[in-house]
Amino acid sequence: MTFKVIKSGFYSTIQDSGRFGLAHHGLSQSGVADEHAYCWANHLLGNDVNDAVLEITFGGCELLALIDTCIVVAGADLGFKVNDKSQHNWQVFAVNKGDTLTWTTPKNGVRAYLAVQDGFQTEQHFNSRSVNLREKVGSLIQVGDDLLTRPSKPCDTGKAMPAWFKLNYQEPLSLRLLASYQFDMFTEQQRHTFFGQTYKIGKASDRTGCRLEGLPIENTPATMVSEGMVYGSVEITTAGFPIILLKDAPTIGGYPKIGTVFSLDLAKLAQRQPGCEVRFEMIDIETAQKLRREFNQFFTS
Amino acid sequence: MFDIKLAGENAIIIYFGDESSPELAEQISFYTEFLHDSLGHLIIDIVPSYTSALITYDLNVVDHQTFCNQVSEALAKAIFVKQDHLSDLIEIPVYYDHEVGLDLERILVEKQLSLPEFIKLHSQPTYLIYTIGFSPAFAFLAEVDKRIRMPRLATPRIQVPAGSVGIADKQTAVYPIDSSGGWNIVGKTPIDLSLNDYDNLKRFMVGYRVKFKPINRQEYIALGGQF
Repeated sequence: MTFKVIKSGFYSTIQDSGRFGLAHHGLSQSGVADEHAYCWANHLLGNDVNDAVLEITFGGCELLALIDTCIVVAGADLGFKVNDKSQHNWQVFAVNKGDTLTWTTPKNGVRAYLAVQDGFQTEQHFNSRSVNLREKVGSLIQVGDDLLTRPSKPCDTGKAMPAWFKLNYQEPLSLRLLASYQFDMFTEQQRHTFFGQTYKIGKASDRTGCRLEGLPIENTPATMVSEGMVYGSVEITTAGFPIILLKDAPTIGGYPKIGTVFSLDLAKLAQRQPGCEVRFEMIDIETAQKLRREFNQFFTS
Repeated sequence: MFDIKLAGENAIIIYFGDESSPELAEQISFYTEFLHDSLGHLIIDIVPSYTSALITYDLNVVDHQTFCNQVSEALAKAIFVKQDHLSDLIEIPVYYDHEVGLDLERILVEKQLSLPEFIKLHSQPTYLIYTIGFSPAFAFLAEVDKRIRMPRLATPRIQVPAGSVGIADKQTAVYPIDSSGGWNIVGKTPIDLSLNDYDNLKRFMVGYRVKFKPINRQEYIALGGQF
């Protein structure tokens, strides 16, 4: 009861909601880059909110189904096909033993999620199936791998996400930022440089961090003794450029942080590729918590 | 005294002081455990570091302001008790030599020390674990003797081999896995501190003490040391 990996793709890893409770040992949160697509994929299948999926970045991936089961593909449009026939994302789809699933190249967004009934049953590391290459916890999927699944159950074929929930990965992205950490150490003028410009996503961006290019913030505060960092923290390097820390980021660091990006905006950021433009705007803690709580409740109720 | 700041939509950071010191490290270690005991049902992760502790919590059950109040109240009630972590002394064997200590030769010249003198200065102190991070089970140890302190390399190495023992200013550490890094490499432990052995994750805890034990080439090889 598996999916056999025929082509591994550029960067395809198993991820779940992440690894928690071990940050004091230096273990990153890890987990899916786009929580919106991930939660919808599991939701449509009636899975647990923590079930593991395959995160396919950019495409180039081919799998052979060795089981009859139901799947959902969510997130980026990477030209998903079953037996050479194009299929829609965001809906429950029955696959049969012997079917070939392919993802070619990015058409809209960069990360697609393959969810199967009950989630992939790959090896757990510290209570999570999430792979973190920086930490050498797990590895990319390899040609010949068997991605283990559970026996299939009846499913609601055709069940789809209502169209109004669909996000446009092409539209301009404004990241909502909480005034956290060393926000007060940045001067009025430095904040103006930060909020007043449109940044470009740099090439060196990955699951660890999104590096932004633009006008540098001048005379940034000095580096500090290392302290704990959270998902979405925005470090300002000595050269004055922002790095948004993502799921695979280290747990501590010493650059000053101008704020923290709201998590559901990071899900949108996960679908933007290098060269895309982003801006920042403020959000207050009450609004951020309300929005995130509503999101969580929607997928757990 | 402490200062609580916002860190994220479900996170706060508590600053316990401005300057790191062994006393502050012990206090942070104590308060971290105390908060874990008193508010553990709300807490996802606590990351203690040199002067602070980062706490992430479950925003589905408690909001920011309520959580801050609960932390303040808990800390106000806490009475610091110096903990006896001496029983937790961890001994790490290290082979100090040019063939594994990539920066050793340069340091000896710069500091005008013989190899035995250097080994003595690095292996004699008992180091305190101030924080863990950078990579899993990477423990930041301090303080390194003034006579052998070296700043980070101007250009970090792309790959530092697992087991390498490094110095950066007053800190020293062992790299548990192959990783990039800018610390001055002075030796290597034959012990596997990587997550190949899951128990390694819990080998180091903030507040524990570490001592390096010099070993020779034969001992290094006998303990499984690689070149």
